Amino acid sequence: MHMADALVSPPVAAVAGAVAVSLLIVATRKVARSKRTDIIPMMGVMGAFVFAAQMINFSIPGTGSSGHIIGGILLAAFLGPWAAYLTLCSVLMIQCLVFADGGLMALGCNMINMAAMSTLVAYPLIYRPLVNYPASAARLVTVTVLASVAGLELGALLVSAETEASGITALPLSRFLLFMLPIHLLIGICEGIATGLVLAFVQRYNASLLTGATVGWGAMPGSRRRRRRVMWIFGIAALVLAAVFTWVASASPDGLEWSIEKVAGVAELAPAKVPSTAFMPDYGSHFAGIVGGVLVMAMLWAITTVIFRLRRLHHKYNE
Amino acid sequence: MSLQSALITLNSLESRRSALRIDSRFQITVTVVYLVAMLSVPLADPGRLVWMAVYPIVMAEASGTGYGRVSLKSLWILPLVVLVGAFNPLLDHSPAWRIGPVTVSMGWVTFLSICLRGLLAMQAVLVLIYSTGFYAICVALGRMGLPSVLTTQLLMVYRYISVLLQEAISMDRARAARGYGRRSYPLRLWATMVGQLLMRSVERSQRIHRAMLARGFNGSMPASTVMRSRGADWCYLLLWTAVCAVLRFVDFSAILGKLL
Repeated sequence: MHMADALVSPPVAAVAGAVAVSLLIVATRKVARSKRTDIIPMMGVMGAFVFAAQMINFSIPGTGSSGHIIGGILLAAFLGPWAAYLTLCSVLMIQCLVFADGGLMALGCNMINMAAMSTLVAYPLIYRPLVNYPASAARLVTVTVLASVAGLELGALLVSAETEASGITALPLSRFLLFMLPIHLLIGICEGIATGLVLAFVQRYNASLLTGATVGWGAMPGSRRRRRRVMWIFGIAALVLAAVFTWVASASPDGLEWSIEKVAGVAELAPAKVPSTAFMPDYGSHFAGIVGGVLVMAMLWAITTVIFRLRRLHHKYNE
Repeated sequence: MSLQSALITLNSLESRRSALRIDSRFQITVTVVYLVAMLSVPLADPGRLVWMAVYPIVMAEASGTGYGRVSLKSLWILPLVVLVGAFNPLLDHSPAWRIGPVTVSMGWVTFLSICLRGLLAMQAVLVLIYSTGFYAICVALGRMGLPSVLTTQLLMVYRYISVLLQEAISMDRARAARGYGRRSYPLRLWATMVGQLLMRSVERSQRIHRAMLARGFNGSMPASTVMRSRGADWCYLLLWTAVCAVLRFVDFSAILGKLL
């Protein structure tokens, strides 16, 4: 779900960056004011843990493929939402600045899509009100599935919106969503089950670790009234989503029709024939310019290689 | 990325010494300026993007990394950008270029642009990574106004990634030795293993916390390097900003095309 720089335009990157940085400033203030003195090393080690855990794959039953966790809900369950947001953002920054995973300009988008949606939206609105420790493993898994699906679907929705707003893809938003949302539904279910099982394991062996997550969000009541309120919110959100999907589905052809159309479209991939009367500038010279540009870049590469290597050899010889 | 390859990448970055002696703050700023200039080129104009390769080529060679290595490494972004850009040739059939008898649709032109943007953006970030260290980037970000809680957090995560990767590798190896050739984990076994790793991580963080308190930790990590901008840093910034502006606003492909 990491967005690449190629998929965002500078204005979209700037807006997303401003939102992500504002949230980061709030998070750093919440963490700095926290009464938990151990939160800094805990966040550091938990960030490294998420990084390592993302590289241990589990097999997805019945598919023959494997997956890994993203870790938003898991981090929030241990650190609280703001500290988890900060931790996940630091993991995203390291992925970008050390492993070149996700672009520098797209960092703000990735922070919102991948970190804020799960830790600042799905966790406080779904997980916290519905889980009261000690909870049964079934309840933990059910709630983490709900929270992970909500977080990932919101993230996928934003990825689609950001790509569309950047004007990168010719695919209409409704079709892009039909492509993105089902995939992230499946990812969310797997993420939720995996997270729920880890939480159940930790609750069984060291439950005190889970009850300390209070940075920036007060104590954790999980009262019946609050749960009922969440159920109402969920019910209304589900109805709204169903209505929106019905509208989107009716506005575009069904999935199969659409796929057939796309497959048929492949046959037309050969350069389109246009009538000779069509108004169009002759870009033959432009194309020649691009080929020339590529050749100049190759020459530049050769020249810079020679210059800088000679320079280094010269320095080495002088030393 | 597997556990081992992540650890190897981390170790290779740690041992790397850049031939460039430019302040990291200026390198970050130039990378952002370059990305803004490059990503603001309209999709219908891949000719300008080709010339934007000047920055990664020169900087990769100047830092001693080599453009061949950077360009090869940048190829792995292609599947993602191709996935998103692949719809453009299918949906946008409006004619864009006529090259002799062949007419190229706008969909193909924008697809080419998306691929070029992906490669160049990746190369710019790789050049930044290879020509600075992560520690230097963190210190620079702190000097540029990033809150100390965040820079401390970045340094802590970076410090403990290799420790926890090693721990995960030894757990993974122990499981593999007893797994009769099975490569991935069933979900329940995975949860037990990751849960164990998590509890060990928390215990480790508590030990680190006590050790930090014993050494007078007051909430932020002191930077051991002092950053002072020199004339060369300002020249570097001004030069590349000017180059980016020229490459963005002057269409060299069109000029060369007319000459040819």
